[in-house]
Amino acid sequence: MAGAIVTIGIVAFAALGLGVGSIKHDAYDDAKETYYEAMEDPTVTQSELDHLHHEEIDAHLSYLTYWVAGVTIMVISIIYAIFLGIGGFINSIQPQEEESHGDDHHDEHHGSASPIIFCFGVLLFLMGFPDFVEGLRPLLSQGGTFALGNLVLSTIGLTIIMIGIANWWREDLPFIGHGEQIATSAPFEGEHIRKAGLWVFIMSEIMVFATFFSSYLRVRTEWCTKWAFDNGLENGKPVEGCVSQSQIDLFDAGEVVTGDVVMTASDYLRPGGAAGTGDFWTMLPGAVNTFALIISSYTIVLALKTAKAKDWEAPKGVLRHLLPDKKTAVRNYLIATLLLGSMFIVLKLVEWSHLVAEGFTVGTSQGSIFYVATGAHGMHVFAGLLIMLYLVFKADTIGYDEDNGQGIEYFGLYWHFVDLAWVVIFPAFYLY
Amino acid sequence: MGEHETTGIIESIVERLPGNKDIYFWNFIVLMVFTLFEVGAVFFETVPGTEIRISRFAVWTILVIVGIVKGYGIAAYFMHLKGDPRIYTRTALFPVLFVLLMLWGIGLSNPEAITELPSWCTPDWDYATSR
Repeated sequence: MAGAIVTIGIVAFAALGLGVGSIKHDAYDDAKETYYEAMEDPTVTQSELDHLHHEEIDAHLSYLTYWVAGVTIMVISIIYAIFLGIGGFINSIQPQEEESHGDDHHDEHHGSASPIIFCFGVLLFLMGFPDFVEGLRPLLSQGGTFALGNLVLSTIGLTIIMIGIANWWREDLPFIGHGEQIATSAPFEGEHIRKAGLWVFIMSEIMVFATFFSSYLRVRTEWCTKWAFDNGLENGKPVEGCVSQSQIDLFDAGEVVTGDVVMTASDYLRPGGAAGTGDFWTMLPGAVNTFALIISSYTIVLALKTAKAKDWEAPKGVLRHLLPDKKTAVRNYLIATLLLGSMFIVLKLVEWSHLVAEGFTVGTSQGSIFYVATGAHGMHVFAGLLIMLYLVFKADTIGYDEDNGQGIEYFGLYWHFVDLAWVVIFPAFYLY
Repeated sequence: MGEHETTGIIESIVERLPGNKDIYFWNFIVLMVFTLFEVGAVFFETVPGTEIRISRFAVWTILVIVGIVKGYGIAAYFMHLKGDPRIYTRTALFPVLFVLLMLWGIGLSNPEAITELPSWCTPDWDYATSR
C-alpha cells in the first residue's frame, strides 16, 4: 500500500508540478516579459498596462496552483508511506496468537504509556522549535549559519513522538473489542474510559481554538477594515483612526470616499473585498474545503455505521463494486475520508501560496493571526489524517466490526470537532 | 455517532420524510445546504435575480445563524451528543464559561488592554518597559 501511495505522489508531482507546472511557468514568463516590454513602450495606455499586469498575476497564480499542488501531494504521499511503512514493520513483529504464552486477553485494552511518551516528545519538540527553525533556515538557503546544536532538542522530541505513536499502534492493532475499559466512578461511571478521555481532550481543544478566535476578535475590533470604514460612513459616526467627519460629509454629499484600510484575508478572497482580487476562483478553495470537511464527516459516520451493522448488505448498482463486502466497505469509506482530508490540505496550501504571492504575508498582524489560526487547524487536520491512515491500515488487515468499531467512533469525534472548528474559522477568517 | 437512538422534533420530522429516513443523511444534507447559503451570502452582493443589496448586517446575521445551525448539527448528531449521557454535553460545554470570559476579557476589550499592560504584569518583556 505504501508503494502505491508513493507512486501516486510521484505521478501527481510529475503531472501537476513538473508537467503542467512547467507549461504554466513558461506562460508566466511570457506574460511577465510582455508586461515589462509594455512598461517601456510609451504608446501603451495605462488601461492596457493594467490589463497586462493582471494577466501576469493570473499566470503567476496559475503556475503556483499546479506547482504547489504537485509538491504538496508528493510530500503528503511520502509522509503517508513512511507512516505506513513503520506501521507495517510493527505489525510484522507482533507476537502471533500461538506465541502468546496462554494469555487469552492479549487483545484487550490495557493502560497505556503511549500518550505520556507522546506528550513528552511534543514538549521537547516545542521547547526546541525556535532553535529548530533557526537551524533549518541555512539548510533551506534562507541565510544564517548552520549549527547542528539547533536541531538536537526538536529532533529528540520528534523521535520520542514517533516512539509514542509506534507503541500506541503496536498496542491498539490487535484490539478486537474485548475488554474495553469502563470507568468505575463518577462522573463518567459506566462509560468507556477512552471515550471520556477523548471528550476531555476535545474540551481542551475548544480552549485552544478559543484563544485564537478571541485574539482575532481582539485585533479585528482595532483594525480599520473596509467593513468598519463603510459601516462608519453609512452610520455617519466618526471612528478614531478610521473614519473622519469630513469623509462622512463627502459620503453624504454622494461622493465616492476611499480610506486607508487594513487588508484582511477575506479582502483578498471574497468578491467585493478591499484588495479587489476576490472572485469566484479565489473563493473556491475555501468553499470546496468546507464542503470537503462536511462530506468527510459523513463518510466517517458511514464507516462506523457499516462497521457496527449486524446485517449489512452490499448496495445495488455501481456502488456494489466499491462496497462489495462489509470489511472492504469500511475500509473504502475511510479511504474516502482520507482523500477528502488530503484534498483539504492541498487546497489550503495552494490558497496560502496565492495569498503570499499577492502580498498577504505572515509579517503583518492580519497575516499572523490568519496563518497561525488556519495553520493550527490545518495541523489538526493533518494529524487526523495520519491517525486515519492507521484506521485504514487496521480496516484492511484486522478489520472493524460491531465489537471494535468504537475505534472509528472515537476518532470520528475528533474528526467532527475539526469540522466544527472550521465552522467558526471559515466565516470568521474567509468570509467576514 | 454511536449506538444510542435519539428522539425529538427533528427525528420525528425525518421519520415522516419519504425515502431515506437516516438522521445522519438528513443532517448531512442540511449542513451542505446551509454551507451553500453561507458562501452565497458573501459571494452575491445583491439577492440573485433582484437589485436588492445584501447589507453587511444581513451577511453578518446569516453567518452567525448558519454557524449556530451547523455547529448544532455536527455536535448533536454527528458527535451524537443528543443520544449520549448528559455528562458528555456538560464536558463539551464546560469550557464555554472560559471561552465567554476570553471573548469578553480579551476579544472585546479595550484595544489598549494588552499593549498597555503595566510593567509588573509583563516582567522582562521588552515592550513593557518601552511603553
